[in-house]
Amino acid sequence: MEIAFNDPRYSDKAIVLTALHNVMDPELFVNIIDLGLVFNIEFKGERTIVITMTFSTRACPLSDSIKMGVRNVLSMAFPEYEVDIIVVWEPEWNFTMLTPEGRKLLGLDR
Amino acid sequence: MASINIGNAPKNSAVLPFYGTGALYFLILSFMLFFAAPDLLFHYFNPHILGIVHAAALGWATMIIFGAAYQLLPVICEQDLYSERLSFLSYCFLAIGVTILVISFWNFFTGFWMILGGSCVVIAAMLYLINVWKTTLICRQYSIQKIFVLSSAIWLLFTVSLGLMLAINLAFPFIKGNHLDILKLHAHAGLVGWFLGLITGVSIKLVPMFLLGKSKKERLLRWSFVLQNAGLILFLLDGFFFGTSIRFLLYASLILSGIILWLIFLYDVFKNRIKKAVDFSMRHTFAAMLCLAISCVLVPFVYFFSGTKWAILYGTFLFLGWISSIILGMTFKTLPFIVWNDHYKKLNGKVRVPLPKQLYNEKWLHYQFFIFIVALLFLALGILMMRLLWIRIALLCWIMLAVMYLANVIKVLNHKTKILDGNSIQ
Repeated sequence: MEIAFNDPRYSDKAIVLTALHNVMDPELFVNIIDLGLVFNIEFKGERTIVITMTFSTRACPLSDSIKMGVRNVLSMAFPEYEVDIIVVWEPEWNFTMLTPEGRKLLGLDR
Repeated sequence: MASINIGNAPKNSAVLPFYGTGALYFLILSFMLFFAAPDLLFHYFNPHILGIVHAAALGWATMIIFGAAYQLLPVICEQDLYSERLSFLSYCFLAIGVTILVISFWNFFTGFWMILGGSCVVIAAMLYLINVWKTTLICRQYSIQKIFVLSSAIWLLFTVSLGLMLAINLAFPFIKGNHLDILKLHAHAGLVGWFLGLITGVSIKLVPMFLLGKSKKERLLRWSFVLQNAGLILFLLDGFFFGTSIRFLLYASLILSGIILWLIFLYDVFKNRIKKAVDFSMRHTFAAMLCLAISCVLVPFVYFFSGTKWAILYGTFLFLGWISSIILGMTFKTLPFIVWNDHYKKLNGKVRVPLPKQLYNEKWLHYQFFIFIVALLFLALGILMMRLLWIRIALLCWIMLAVMYLANVIKVLNHKTKILDGNSIQ
């Protein structure tokens, strides 16, 4: 997940990205950004943040908890905004979506 | 990109009683085995062994599987469970039914009590099937997991209905065929149709999820389904109309081919996994698969060799090896997450909270695995060599194992919400 430097909401999106680093997948104990679960961050209208994301598996029993985590961190960073989470299965998550830090945290590069 | 709907996990009251009661039944089962140790050296058709087998199959395995299935169905179907009330009702009927049934078998109270217990179990199986059926009906997408879970629920109802007929037949004989031959059909409908079908269906969802592994060989699973079920149906029809014959080896080969295809799929997932470290829960699953393989090897011995020890050994590897090992491991891959979700879902991201794996004692799980291996090896050797002392030592280990497992389950169930440092992360 990268934010373009010329994005008009660059600084806000950077705050969102930092906040989302605090949302952990409780099974893997790696944050959702380094797992590559977040596809897009968008500011819509005056007061809505739209997060487009996926899960490592359709059967993720902790999906509710992760979505709640996203809402929690964003409501702390942007108390006046609504958070809209869109969960998608395409593209399907795979390990190439991990960041280098995510690979390290999962011990893939040992 | 298509947005999707995710089913909500059912309330804990629809799931947790199954885990608690199942763990308690595992301890009861271990004590029953210890007290009936000499019976393991005789024919399996005796009151104590019948009581033990029903405690294992229904009180322990089916109880936990019901709970896990109710939790997993919304996940597989991406829809809410059809009815939490039905799941709780199925718990009540199963718990009452299995208790009456086990006491009846142990003391060989044929007649009213055995039939009552069996009837309660049949009602529980019906309620389970309705819940599975209705939940999968509203399921948006076709999945092989769904087919396995649904067909296994149908096999369960068939198995317990046949069992009820046998219980009635003990008091009021009406079945023309040999009671023991029908008993074999009842046992294998349960083992292959219910347990194998359900475990296949659930494992092909859970193992990739826990190992973060993928396989493109889903086609194997469709063939696995066809072979497992075709083998079983042919075995039952032939057995019912013509009695046990050497043709059963052909049906066993079909089922075995289905098992092999399933295991190839799991191996492919294992090879292509992201999580390289294999924890003790997953080791239990691998040990279970080894026990299943040993059971398959034992099938010809049961048929061709005289003596009842082969049948007892076969049952031991299936119930105490394969099914129990899977449950002993998978409990700690499912239960802590269910409880964690209830305590920490709303706190995730706000404060530091324990991880799901910190809800149980990991050391106990390590010991549990090693005690399981020792207990099973001693028990198998004791039965094979007909040594009562070895069997008794193994069953003492089995009691230790059950105590450790129950204590760990209680630790998870009694978990109180904790915030690790009390500080907000922002």
